[in-house]
Amino acid sequence: MKTTIPAFLRNLLGAVSLALLVPTALADAYNARLPDEINTAPDLCSYAPCSEVLPGATEFSERKGRPFYVEGYAQRDGRRELVGYVMLSTDITDIPAYSGKPVVTLIGMGPQGHFAGVKILKHSEPILLLGIPESAMVKFNEQYLGKFVGANIEVGRTRPGEDVIGLDAISGATVTVIAQNQVMMASGGAVARQVGILEPVVREPARLKETGAALDWGALVKEGSVKRLTVRPEQVGLPRDGGAPFIDLWFGYLNQPDVGRTLLGETAWRNLMTQLREDEHALFVLRSGGRESFKGSGFVRGGLYDRVQVRQGSDTFTFRDLDYRNLYGLAAAGAPAYDESAIFIIRPEHQSASFSAAYPWKFVFLGNRVDRATGQRSFANFDTEFWIPAHYLEGGRPAIKKPTPVWLRVWQTRALEIGLFAVLLVAVAAVYAQRDRLTRASTHKNKWPVNAFKYTAWVISIGYVGFHLMAQPSITQVLTWFHALLFQWTWELFLTDPFIFLFWIFIIVTVFLWGRGLFCGWLCPFGSLSELLYKVGGAIGLKRYQFKLPQALHDRLKWIKYAVFFGLLAVSVFSMTLAEMLAEVEPFKTTFLVGLFNRSWPYTLFAASLLGLSIFIERPFCKYLCPLGAALAMPTTFRWFGLKRKQECDSCKACAKGCGSLAIDKDGRIDPRECMLCLDCMVLYTDDHACPPLAQERKRRTKAGLPLTPIGADGYYIPIKPVPAAKPAAA
Amino acid sequence: MVNPTMPTDPVEPPYAGHGTLGLIAAEIWDHLWPWSRRGFAGQRALQAAGLALAAGATLMWVLAALGRLEAGAIIGWWFGWSVFEVVVRLGSKPYVKEGPWWGRRYRRATLMDMLCYVGFKNLLIGAALFIALKSTGLLVL
Repeated sequence: MKTTIPAFLRNLLGAVSLALLVPTALADAYNARLPDEINTAPDLCSYAPCSEVLPGATEFSERKGRPFYVEGYAQRDGRRELVGYVMLSTDITDIPAYSGKPVVTLIGMGPQGHFAGVKILKHSEPILLLGIPESAMVKFNEQYLGKFVGANIEVGRTRPGEDVIGLDAISGATVTVIAQNQVMMASGGAVARQVGILEPVVREPARLKETGAALDWGALVKEGSVKRLTVRPEQVGLPRDGGAPFIDLWFGYLNQPDVGRTLLGETAWRNLMTQLREDEHALFVLRSGGRESFKGSGFVRGGLYDRVQVRQGSDTFTFRDLDYRNLYGLAAAGAPAYDESAIFIIRPEHQSASFSAAYPWKFVFLGNRVDRATGQRSFANFDTEFWIPAHYLEGGRPAIKKPTPVWLRVWQTRALEIGLFAVLLVAVAAVYAQRDRLTRASTHKNKWPVNAFKYTAWVISIGYVGFHLMAQPSITQVLTWFHALLFQWTWELFLTDPFIFLFWIFIIVTVFLWGRGLFCGWLCPFGSLSELLYKVGGAIGLKRYQFKLPQALHDRLKWIKYAVFFGLLAVSVFSMTLAEMLAEVEPFKTTFLVGLFNRSWPYTLFAASLLGLSIFIERPFCKYLCPLGAALAMPTTFRWFGLKRKQECDSCKACAKGCGSLAIDKDGRIDPRECMLCLDCMVLYTDDHACPPLAQERKRRTKAGLPLTPIGADGYYIPIKPVPAAKPAAA
Repeated sequence: MVNPTMPTDPVEPPYAGHGTLGLIAAEIWDHLWPWSRRGFAGQRALQAAGLALAAGATLMWVLAALGRLEAGAIIGWWFGWSVFEVVVRLGSKPYVKEGPWWGRRYRRATLMDMLCYVGFKNLLIGAALFIALKSTGLLVL
């Protein structure tokens, strides 16, 4: 066995180190600093490139409507002609993408409701920063051009039978594009409904029932007729104010007679109802805490209350000064003290939409969130759902078919692949659970009973899991979980990638059962590729160039991966973005997600060098650099079932010599944190021609003419115990 | 003679011979209380400082529960305490469990074993406290 590093490999390592130091160009829109006015200024198009998303338009109106949009015009034959509409996605929705932040998108739509242009102004998606070029997202957005806003557009395959138009996803950025599709359809739909391109949703009016029950404030809150919406300073990026809320609002629906009378008193309620038309609805709002006004000052200038609105389905209802009434007092006993109040009237016919109290709706407070990292402001919506209690409706609440959540649709559309993947995971675990049988069926010279399963797992893992499903677990997922645990855990985010989700369940279970080796040694796509290259290299005549590092050097270098892991963890506390960038120490993205030839040269060189090195050293990345391996090695300390050893292992070096992971020390002890569970030592354990103590015993017995009994669980021949001859039966 | 069936030499903690319930109680106590009488005699100054730091960490969680501490400060304190706990435990309870958690095999802890044990244990405790504080609305991040 050679123990020195060949010179050309030393040079290669040097080149890799240099390449890693080369700075890479950052993506254009990644955390781009947008002018504050883009969110607030009436002339949106002075701050946003509207003409880029609405070709032909030369003039733009000010922001109008609710939610906001602008109209684009062109001069034709001396006349101003409407060319279409432009909207800023964050004026309409704050659907977050993978980063937890929305992708700020400028969308153009033709006068007939066809998408005319899309431009991403700002995003915080780490995958678009380093992994996938932004051009992929531009290409994804181009798929919308010319498509009708009212069409059923989804990420995935086109299903003509179901009238679904499919969009090609971006491999490795599924969550991002699913969120982007929601943003596009929600934004386009909201504007299209306002301008009359899409028909408003017609909702059956509520048939309210009067029960005559005597109620107080507490009872109203308990039954859900009065709801609360509290926004804390932290939620808008402000420092905590001794526990005081940013704003604390109560609201409720006044048309229901029992509720309206209880809250306003008989006379005031009757007066209010006489002012309403049949399809108009009143709700009260009061502020019991916080210093922020829910009325704001916008209505003074534009006659519009810009801090509160009501949403039902995809329809938004806003309030103008004419929709406002004074709330002079509350008659309900037990009502909290308040210092700002209002009655708002929902007038659906003014807003080309129908409102029905029979269906759930949301009361929305529109705030500004200050990003603590950048200081930038962005719109943030805070809402509370309201659904009138069933006993106030004739016939109770109507049945509502809620749309299938995005994550569930992903599971449904990829059911077969998910099933196959789950079978793979269960099969590998089941095979490993039978390791004793497999290793006993193997010998030092013929390990195929073990290797047939292991090599099959590698090939499936590389081809199907790695390249096809792109389900390569990564340290970034560990960091994301760590942060999600601290800040906001959303199951949907993790469920949207079913393969990674299932893989992690497998990893967590098997790490505690057997250690990290089953994942790292049998199923990690990159690890499998790395060791397969080593095996293939050996098989094609490169064995004489293959070498192991000296044990002493290995014992020092193995700590690097822990340093990398802790370094990333520490950096992530301060900057997740930087941690994501540094996580490029994992060549997984380059190898499987983006492709070796689709990235800038430093990344390609790094990944290719590691794979090239793997031909000569067994799993160099896994042993010395992999932060995910380090993260999994730590709980491996407490795995339940380790590998077997004999007392003679303390002086025998047979297993240690053949251990590719260098996980067996001079005393014959296995380091579970370094072990890849290749099972080579377990094959030896019961091989009476290869395990020295067993071979010795075999020879002794053969010489003495004693039978070779089966080998027991302890790795030794079952002792021969002479059975006393049966006494002859008494005569 | 080295025992190669374990990554380090086997050790018997004082409660190794207790009955099932006694063992569970002793292990819970072991997880929560890093000090021991023997360790205290050996590293008096360190253990005293550890007690002070533990008081600080407890106060930190109380402040967090009162909503008067930022997440970064909590993580910082918890990390600092974890590092110190590793040092204290290596002097006072220098062993970890080997094999199934319901078993009775213990072994001498190396520095890495102790880092893994304290890191993992405190991650679980920290996560449980974080979730508890957040679900009760006492901590908003």
